[in-house]
Amino acid sequence: MFYLKRFGWVILAILLCVGFESVVTSGKNFDYVYRMCVLAGLYVTLAVSLNLINGITGQFSIGHAAFYQVGAYITGFFAATGYKGFASNSLVQQLSHIGVNATWTVQGLWLVMMVLAGAAGAAVAGFVVGLPSLRLKGDYLAIVTLGFGEIIRIVCQNQPALGGAYGMKIEPRINSMWFVWLLAILCIAVCRNLLKTAHGLPFLAVREDEVASSAMGVDVTKVKVTAFVIGAAFAGAAGALLGHFEGFVSPPMFKMEVSFMVLTMVVLGGTGSITGSTVGALLLFGIPEWLRQIEDSHHNPILVSAGSVLGFAIMLVAAVAYVRHLIHHFHGEKKAKTQRIVGTFAAALVAQFFLGMLLNLVPALRDKSWPYADLRWAIFAVTLIVLMLLRPQGMFAHHEFSVARFFKRPKEAAA
Amino acid sequence: MSTILQLTDATIKFGGLTAVNKVSFNLQKGDLFGLIGPNGAGKTTCFNLITGVYKPTSGSIVFNGKEISGTPSNKIASLGICRTFQNIRLFPALSVLENVVVGAYLRHKTGLGSALAYLPSAIAETEALRAEAFALLQVVDLDDVAHVRSADLPYGKQRRLEIARAMATQPSLLLLDEPAAGMNPQEKDDLARVVRRIRDEFEKTVLLIEHDMRFVMGLCERIVVLDHGEEIAQGPPEAIRSNPKVIEAYLGEAV
Amino acid sequence: MGSALTLLAGLDPAGLPQQLVNGVLLGGIYALLALGYTMVYGVLRLINFAHGEVFMLGAYTSLFVSWALGFSPEAMKSGSHQSNPMNLVIMILVSMTVCALVGVVIELFAYRPMRGSSRIASLITAIGVSLLLQYGGQLFLPTSPPPSISDKVNPYSGSWEIPLKSADASLVAALAKARTEAKESQAEIDRQHINRFDTNLPPAQAALITTVETSERQVHDLEAKINNSSVKINLRYGQLIMLGSTIVLMLLLRHLVLKTPIGRAMRAVSHDFDSASLMGVNVNQIVTLTFMIGSALAGAGAMMYATLGDSPALNTFYGSLPGVKAFVAAVLGGIGNIPGAVLGGLLMGVAENLVVWAGYSQYKDAVAFVILIAVLLLKPGGIMGSSKVEKV
Ligand SMILES: Nc1ncnc2c1ncn2[C@@H]1O[C@H](COP(=O)(O)OP(=O)(O)OP(=O)(O)O)[C@@H](O)[C@H]1O
Ligand SMILES: [Mg+2]
Repeated sequence: MFYLKRFGWVILAILLCVGFESVVTSGKNFDYVYRMCVLAGLYVTLAVSLNLINGITGQFSIGHAAFYQVGAYITGFFAATGYKGFASNSLVQQLSHIGVNATWTVQGLWLVMMVLAGAAGAAVAGFVVGLPSLRLKGDYLAIVTLGFGEIIRIVCQNQPALGGAYGMKIEPRINSMWFVWLLAILCIAVCRNLLKTAHGLPFLAVREDEVASSAMGVDVTKVKVTAFVIGAAFAGAAGALLGHFEGFVSPPMFKMEVSFMVLTMVVLGGTGSITGSTVGALLLFGIPEWLRQIEDSHHNPILVSAGSVLGFAIMLVAAVAYVRHLIHHFHGEKKAKTQRIVGTFAAALVAQFFLGMLLNLVPALRDKSWPYADLRWAIFAVTLIVLMLLRPQGMFAHHEFSVARFFKRPKEAAA
Repeated sequence: MSTILQLTDATIKFGGLTAVNKVSFNLQKGDLFGLIGPNGAGKTTCFNLITGVYKPTSGSIVFNGKEISGTPSNKIASLGICRTFQNIRLFPALSVLENVVVGAYLRHKTGLGSALAYLPSAIAETEALRAEAFALLQVVDLDDVAHVRSADLPYGKQRRLEIARAMATQPSLLLLDEPAAGMNPQEKDDLARVVRRIRDEFEKTVLLIEHDMRFVMGLCERIVVLDHGEEIAQGPPEAIRSNPKVIEAYLGEAV
Repeated sequence: MGSALTLLAGLDPAGLPQQLVNGVLLGGIYALLALGYTMVYGVLRLINFAHGEVFMLGAYTSLFVSWALGFSPEAMKSGSHQSNPMNLVIMILVSMTVCALVGVVIELFAYRPMRGSSRIASLITAIGVSLLLQYGGQLFLPTSPPPSISDKVNPYSGSWEIPLKSADASLVAALAKARTEAKESQAEIDRQHINRFDTNLPPAQAALITTVETSERQVHDLEAKINNSSVKINLRYGQLIMLGSTIVLMLLLRHLVLKTPIGRAMRAVSHDFDSASLMGVNVNQIVTLTFMIGSALAGAGAMMYATLGDSPALNTFYGSLPGVKAFVAAVLGGIGNIPGAVLGGLLMGVAENLVVWAGYSQYKDAVAFVILIAVLLLKPGGIMGSSKVEKV
């Protein structure tokens, strides 16, 4: 009975993913959207897996891109050396008659193998990176994980066998959106299962207090390394999918900035919250992409003048300062507080519009302008800072989304 | 009765400071043993030596016939020694119940894999461990706050939770570091009852540090006194009470 | 073993001293930058990720000042330009001031409000500030083509050659001989008005030309040999100024931290933030001052590196790599420890140049991390830091 139910859930997840993919591909000119959906899925996997290391186990790792890279490069290496042999293998040839069509089955089988290989390779890397966590804490560990990431990237960059600075081509390109999302769901499910069972508690305990955990018999070493291994394995699996989706891998795809981005997703969502990591990933991946898209009806990018930017910046600083004041010093009812906060932002939004117009009277401020696409990373950075200033515990703090909460009476939830 | 814990000339130095100097005492199974001394005497450091937080500079610590000095904390816990902390070290973000379930780590029977896959065995085990933890909370009278974040508990309850958490590891020797600190007389009496019950009903050996003389003298059957890292007296409460060295150590502190 | 020997054989021992000196110079810049990281970490336990961007702004400030002083690209096209030492002084002072201001503003607006929050939240804010300066800077600062500060700003363009080991006397003698030979044959050729490129010369004249060519080739070979057998260090005057100023700045900082009341307050805050504030130290003031000093040092480093050092052209990511390396240097030395930061910086600079010298320049950005990981695993608190045992 249990296995039947579980099987049902798996089928449902697959159907969901495949359904999502077919919805996306049914649109016109879906190439771009498809690409975004794939990348978003990969980021969700990265963020949720880093959350296991960083948020749940409390090990300050800021080199997650390294595991992503290991997965991608392992795939690249195998694809270059082994794919042809695999595709012409007689067993595979026979199997290929099973599926919808031959290429599909062969590529699917290959992809599953590569995901496993990438995960295994990255898990080994995770084990190696996890070892220093036994001796190092906090910032020291952080800088070491960052260092490992950079070393791996620079070494790959200088291996002619791995394509050097140009990277390598990965044949065949495989459009694997539903598979990407299936991986993301798997990653989320695994983390949730961990937290739902007694086995998850030692991980949280290590985050909270290592000395006390160890006094309770928790094998702190094992817990930390396990978190690194599992987190890295998922990142590696994501890397394998990335490689086959892009059709190439190159060192700049795994820069330090990628690690920072993933870390930011985790913290912004609320360290330790799986829901938070997921939402954080979607949001932070989405904002810059959305800003890149802003254009008028003639497909010309909309320009923003320096005056408007300045006006916005000034009002933002004022609004954030006031809202922080409200958060810390307003002791009225919660509802009144929320109203005031929302009101402040609304007023600031209106005010920035007029202030911008005013500032645009200055020729120097009016004549300098940029398309939104150029502003996107600056906006990204500002979003980050503002969110941290207003809600340092992250959007979801340590809470999880649960259907039950929706149906709870407000009174009950407050109690 | 058999010896459960035996310290022989246990010594530890931090730089120039000898925090514990050649301390020796024996604990018999079923003892309710007190460890007292003025502030900075080295009591907590003794606990840290026994539980493997620090490795003694010299001397030996034998538990159930096995030398344990220098063994990692978690190994020592698995041998059957568990402790509470003077400066409470709960897992603040976890609920009261969850804190106790962490203590059951050593008794996990299902593998991590079954937990990650959320197999029935892992679910059942989780349920069982939670039920067990809840029973322990009843012992220390915390069952009504089982789902509160442990950081939100008042001080006295946090101390009791520390005890429940340590009990969850099912130790044969329980070390309590100032369990009554910050409690009012009523709470202290309740606590004394709990400690006695733990010894009698759960058949644990208990070693406890406490500053409240009335509490220790009323509870413990044997007491060892430390001052400046050195052992200055040992014996039943009545003997300790009238020991001139002990009186001097405490008076010397008061001056 | 065999491979190690061949590896060593491929090295050029004569180049080593020069690379070591270059390493120390670069290390000095890293050290200046590392001081900022370490001081801020000391008082706030915060990795100031935006410190590299302060360095970048310092370089840009120096660029603008140099333009204002008449060394802009347009001005450079016309006429000759005489610089004087005052220009360098103005540039470094303005750069330090601007950076100090930027540092204070960043602390005030981004870090101070985060003080009560978790470390990781502060860290994310720091990353945010860093990104904002990098990408926001792109909107306002000239980036394409990447500008550079003109060499002409530095009035001391010569260099100082320090011979460490002179060449073999026999080689020198042989060179002198070959030179005279070449000169004599050349004189003979000139006297006879022979055209060297005439192909139909009588045999005697052709022989003369062959002699000239042989001795010229000999001169060339010998010169090369002498060059290799003598060991010398070439120090540009600019680099000397850089080294001197770095040392002066560090001594000033040392004096400030060890000998003044402000320094004592700083050390108190760094030792125990809460107690210091309870004891009546104005911690906000000290934190502001720390950011000011740290950023000013970064500004000085940036000006010197961009003007006198072997700096790449400017863009808004100019500070990120030196920033990361300087941070690694600070951790290496023991973060929070001021002499440690200097030591770490120097080590980092030297190691990087040694790797270049050994012929692995493509790995020069990785070596920083390799050393770091090795050191931390052996000594988790860094070289000069103490790894405290947690009191339980
Ligand atoms: N990790 C450590 N490093 C340096 N000194 C230490 C360390 N741990 C304890 N000490 C010192 O050892 C001495 C004994 O400390 P300990 O905590 O054992 O005292 P105590 O008897 O428990 O006192 P109290 O009654 O105040 O709890 C103290 O002087 C303390 O400062
Ligand atoms: Mg104590």
